[in-house]
Amino acid sequence: MSKRIVINPLTRISGFMEIDVTVENNQVVEAKTKGNLFRGFEQMLIGRSPFDSVYFTQRICGICSAAHSMASSLALEDALKIEPMEQGKYLRDIIHCCEFLQNHIRHFYQYTVPDFVKIEQNSLFQADHDDFRLPTEINDRISKHYFESLTISRLGHQMLAVLGGKAPHNHGVFIGGITTQATAEKVVHLDSILQKISAFIDEKMIPDVYDIARYYQEYYQLGSGYGNLLSYGSFNSYKELGTLYVDPLVLTGEGMQAFDESKILEKIDYSYFTSTEQTYSPGEVVPEPDMDKKNAYSWVKAPRYNGLPFEVGPLARLILSGNYDNDISAMDRTIARALETKKIAEIMKLLLQQIIPGVDVQKKYELPESASGRGLVDTTRGALGHWLKIKDKKISFYQIITPSTWDFSTRDDNGYRGTAEQALIGTPIQNPDKPAEIGRILRSFDPCMSCATHVYTPGKQVKTIKVF
Amino acid sequence: MSQFILPPEPLTNEAIAERLTNTAIKQLDRGLIKKRNLVYLELNGCSGNIISLLNGQNPDFEYALNSMVDLRYSNSLMAAEGEQAIAKLMEVMNDDFILAVEGAVALKNNGLYNIIGSRQGKPLTGLEAARMLGDKAESILAVGACATHGGVSAARPNPSESMGLQTVLPEKKMIKLPGCPVHPDWFLGTLAHMLLYGEPETDNLGRPLMFYSTLIHDRCPRRPFFDRGIFAEKLGDKTCLFKLGCRGPVTRIDCPTRQWNGHVNWPIRDDTPCIGCAQFGFPDAMAPFISYDTTRVVKDE
Repeated sequence: MSKRIVINPLTRISGFMEIDVTVENNQVVEAKTKGNLFRGFEQMLIGRSPFDSVYFTQRICGICSAAHSMASSLALEDALKIEPMEQGKYLRDIIHCCEFLQNHIRHFYQYTVPDFVKIEQNSLFQADHDDFRLPTEINDRISKHYFESLTISRLGHQMLAVLGGKAPHNHGVFIGGITTQATAEKVVHLDSILQKISAFIDEKMIPDVYDIARYYQEYYQLGSGYGNLLSYGSFNSYKELGTLYVDPLVLTGEGMQAFDESKILEKIDYSYFTSTEQTYSPGEVVPEPDMDKKNAYSWVKAPRYNGLPFEVGPLARLILSGNYDNDISAMDRTIARALETKKIAEIMKLLLQQIIPGVDVQKKYELPESASGRGLVDTTRGALGHWLKIKDKKISFYQIITPSTWDFSTRDDNGYRGTAEQALIGTPIQNPDKPAEIGRILRSFDPCMSCATHVYTPGKQVKTIKVF
Repeated sequence: MSQFILPPEPLTNEAIAERLTNTAIKQLDRGLIKKRNLVYLELNGCSGNIISLLNGQNPDFEYALNSMVDLRYSNSLMAAEGEQAIAKLMEVMNDDFILAVEGAVALKNNGLYNIIGSRQGKPLTGLEAARMLGDKAESILAVGACATHGGVSAARPNPSESMGLQTVLPEKKMIKLPGCPVHPDWFLGTLAHMLLYGEPETDNLGRPLMFYSTLIHDRCPRRPFFDRGIFAEKLGDKTCLFKLGCRGPVTRIDCPTRQWNGHVNWPIRDDTPCIGCAQFGFPDAMAPFISYDTTRVVKDE
């Protein structure tokens, strides 16, 4: 007896996602994740000033905008052959830390907690399943923390604004690291807030996540997926500090290896795009949107490393950096996010200690007639890559592969499913009419669909008008 | 032992329930604000405005939830998902509600470039939702640049054919709050005005005058440098950023006095030009955002 479950929208994520699973004998046997919006940033960027890409690409995503400013400024530095000063790197990475903190805290409390905790303060949090197992006392404590966390993540964004001007969509991250200079006042402003955030992480967030884990033990066995992990590296390769977190690494069944950029290829066999090639190198081809494509079901493309789908994000980073020795599962992913939040707060504290006030890292930049560059960085949700080309001092090519594109890719011509699709296979569904499991597993990846995305109309052919 | 003589009260379940209800109503009446229903739709955009809204302070988001509105639908925050979430959205249409929309309306392929949910097995597009809810709403707030005029979602060549909300609801009066993202005060302040005193006074383009009346340039702390012709040559300089492409002279908004994220900073104080994100026409009319050679001769624009 097979049953199809469609969840659309998958709420409490950034952007729009539909999930379409087939259940037989109360087990998931097939799964498709579908991104549900398309804006076409890669086409929009063509012809713009390369400098503008730092601010423009942030508009891809409202919750992780600083991530795109990071990748974009790294890509421009690569293209313009600029080596930022260490102080610039520190300050930019401090902004990046603030992004991690506000993002992870929001994801855990605003997006994950309502899956496991009955929040009774407001009808907005009325769930549509009844699998709530926490004892009243713990449940009520975490509910209270839900509201407290709003203040804490707000403070995370405030720290970001102290150096970045505003958040979301900051102005501070730029070529050379940062636009402004540190002052003693800013450093203590940040340090003072950081203490409050660190206390919240240690005293509330981490105990909360372990409490949830204790009552939902089976999630340690669910949502594992292929088990291939990838990171582009984060808070690494400082001249004096070395690597504070994680180097560019991959882990497969064959063990750990150094990351090799040339092994990334992107596939579009099942995505709403056409191109001369169904498999291409990200620095070379940007496919065009095409909703008439046969067999396609999502706006998300399928990046592969060495031909395999990979998982990216906090759990991947913690395992690759030797900071976590449990397994790969939905619960491990959620715990890893909380543990990483603590790790990032520690890194930020350390970076703040390196700051010298008054250092101006900015110069007047000259654009080359033509150049190409790429910026690869691990950010909140995982590995983020921007590839760009400059011609006649304008952007002539821009390609973005976001972390959620790795985690929520479509299947490919070799029969591999996307990472999150695979993670759902075999999941036992207690009550197919109220499937709590699917949302919990998918949210453990922290999907951000604002960056990637589908159309599914059974029995109806959608006619597309060519964009170009 | 004190002696009180109380009038007898009926103790039937109905009577007790009625007493409770009446007490609750009385309490609300004594309060400052009458709560209204709010539907917050995220359409073709980045969901940056709802995140910005969570950054609000005094009123903060918690106050808004507890004392200002019943938030009946929010893709980013609600616990329900899938058909149940969409059912909640449909239920609101039987009541009076304020509609807030962030993100643009994608027209391409009849709206299929932006699907916000599924209804009776069919995709519910942002376009359909905007029309349906916009039609029924008591008041409409277009929140952020994408909703007010298309914004970055509609940037050239606009592959998803994104438009501002007014395009699909041409007859409807709406308050427009441009900005990328909207500052939480602009949104919550407008909402508070609606709850306390009705719709705020707007300019001819639908922007509340209390926020959008004065050019950044006219209140910029770096204005003295402009007046004396002292200009920054690169980011990070502390003088007037006009020659780096600052859009302060054409952008009407209160950033210089209000500032962001708990009023700690804003782009110009961060030694970067304003990019005019709160002005209609952003981003294309404001590009390039940063240029080091504004005095060049332009051939092909």
